[in-house]
Amino acid sequence: MVKKQLVKYHPDTRFLTDYAAGSLPESQAMCVAAHLHYCPSCRSHIRDLTQVGTALFMDQPPAEVSAGSFEQVMAKLAQTGKSTVTETATAANESPASDAKQEKLDTETAELPRAIRKMTRGSLENLNWRNLGKTFRYSTIRTGDTRRESSLLEIKAGGEIPRHHHGGDEITVVLKGSFSDQEDRYHVGDYIVRTRGEAHTPVASQDEDCLCLTTLDSPIVVNNWFYRMLMPFLKKPTSAH
Amino acid sequence: MAVTETVNTGARRMNPTVVKDEAATWNDCLLRVARDSDQAAFQQLFNKFSPLIKAFTAKQPSFGNQAANMSEELVQETMVKVWQKAASFNPEKASASTWIFTIARNTRIDLIRKTSRHHQNRINNDDSEDGFDVEDIWIENEDEDVFNQLAKQRSAETLHEAMKNLPEEQAFILKKVYLEDKSHTEIAEELDLPLGTVKSRVRLALSKLRLSVDR
Repeated sequence: MVKKQLVKYHPDTRFLTDYAAGSLPESQAMCVAAHLHYCPSCRSHIRDLTQVGTALFMDQPPAEVSAGSFEQVMAKLAQTGKSTVTETATAANESPASDAKQEKLDTETAELPRAIRKMTRGSLENLNWRNLGKTFRYSTIRTGDTRRESSLLEIKAGGEIPRHHHGGDEITVVLKGSFSDQEDRYHVGDYIVRTRGEAHTPVASQDEDCLCLTTLDSPIVVNNWFYRMLMPFLKKPTSAH
Repeated sequence: MAVTETVNTGARRMNPTVVKDEAATWNDCLLRVARDSDQAAFQQLFNKFSPLIKAFTAKQPSFGNQAANMSEELVQETMVKVWQKAASFNPEKASASTWIFTIARNTRIDLIRKTSRHHQNRINNDDSEDGFDVEDIWIENEDEDVFNQLAKQRSAETLHEAMKNLPEEQAFILKKVYLEDKSHTEIAEELDLPLGTVKSRVRLALSKLRLSVDR
C-alpha cells in the first residue's frame, strides 16, 4: 500500500481477531485499519485470521432460508438494473478513474489510511478543528460507535499535550510525524494502547507536526485545564456540526 | 505465519481432497457468474451459501426481536452484493468461500452501523454522514506477495482439517469470536471470565492451528 517502514507497536491478537471476525467496535476497527495500512506483517496476520473465520463459517449447521428468497434476490437485482454482471462491472470501473483524479489533487492526504483520506476530501483543512492552545488541535470523527470518542489530533512540532490520566482505554495510531512520551518514541503506523489509569505526557518531535488517530473508551477524568476544555465536547460529540 | 502441515488422526477427519474439490466448485460458479451472468451458477452458490449466511447472522445479539427479519435481510443483501461484485473476484487472491464470508461479515457490520446511526441521528436531530463506508475500514486486503498467496491457498485445506481437531474449549471460544459477533470483551462478560483468560484461550487455539501468535 504505502512505502515500507518499520512499525514497532502492533495491535495484539485480541484486536486482530475481533477485527477479522467483524466484532471490533467501529472506532477501534478504524485504528486497526489505520495500522494495517502501514503494516504488511499484520495484514498477513489478518489474512490468516480471516481464513479461520471462513473455515468456521463453512462448518456451521446450515439454517433454513425463507421460501422465495432466491426469487427476491433476483427481483432486487432486476430492479437495480444490474441483472447482468457486465453492467455492474462497467459501473464499478467508473469510480476508480474519478478516484485517481481526486488523488492527484490531494498529495497532502494521499498517504493516509483510506477512511481518513476519504473524510478529509483532499485536505486536513476540510475538517472541523478545535484549537486547544497554540500547539494542539483536534477534530472529532463520527463513527457508529456510541461508547467511544474518536478524533484526529495534531500536535505542532515540539508541542506537548499536558500530562493526563485515562478513565478508559485509549488507542493511538501515528499517521504523520512522531511523538514521544516517557517510555518511547512512536512513528508512523505505531498502534499504542494506554489502559485505564496510565498517565503520560506526549510530546511531538521537534522537526515535524504529528498527526494521530485516537479512540477513547470513555471520557477522561482529571482536573486540569486541558480536560476542563475537552470534557464538554466529549460529552456532546456532535456539537461541532 | 502460514498454517503448516499437521498430522491428523482424528475420528472426524474430513478428506482434504473433498474440501479442495468443493472449493474449486464454488470458485468456478463465481467465475461463471462474473463472466456470463450465469443464473444457474448463481443459484448453486445461493443454495450453498445462503443457509450459511443465515446461520452466521442468526445469533445477532443487537437485533433483539427483529433478529429473524434482519437475518433474512442480510442473506438477501449479501447475495445481491455477491452478484454485483462478482467481477472483482480473483481466485488467485482468495477462495470463493473467503470472499463470500468477507462480504457477509461486512454486510452485517453495515446493517448494524446503519441501525445505530439512524438511532443516533434521531436523538441528535442530525443527518450528517461520516464520510466513509464500512469497506473503508474493513478493507479487503489483497496479498501483495504471490508466493504467499499460493502458500495460503494450499494451507486453507490443512487449516480446515486442523480446526476439526481442536479441543472443545478452544473450538468453543473461536466459534464465539467468529460466529456470534461478540468481541473478546463481550465474551469475557458473558462467560464471567477475566479478559486475559479469553485472550489466552484464543491465542492457544490459534497456536494449535499453527498460526503465529506473536502479537
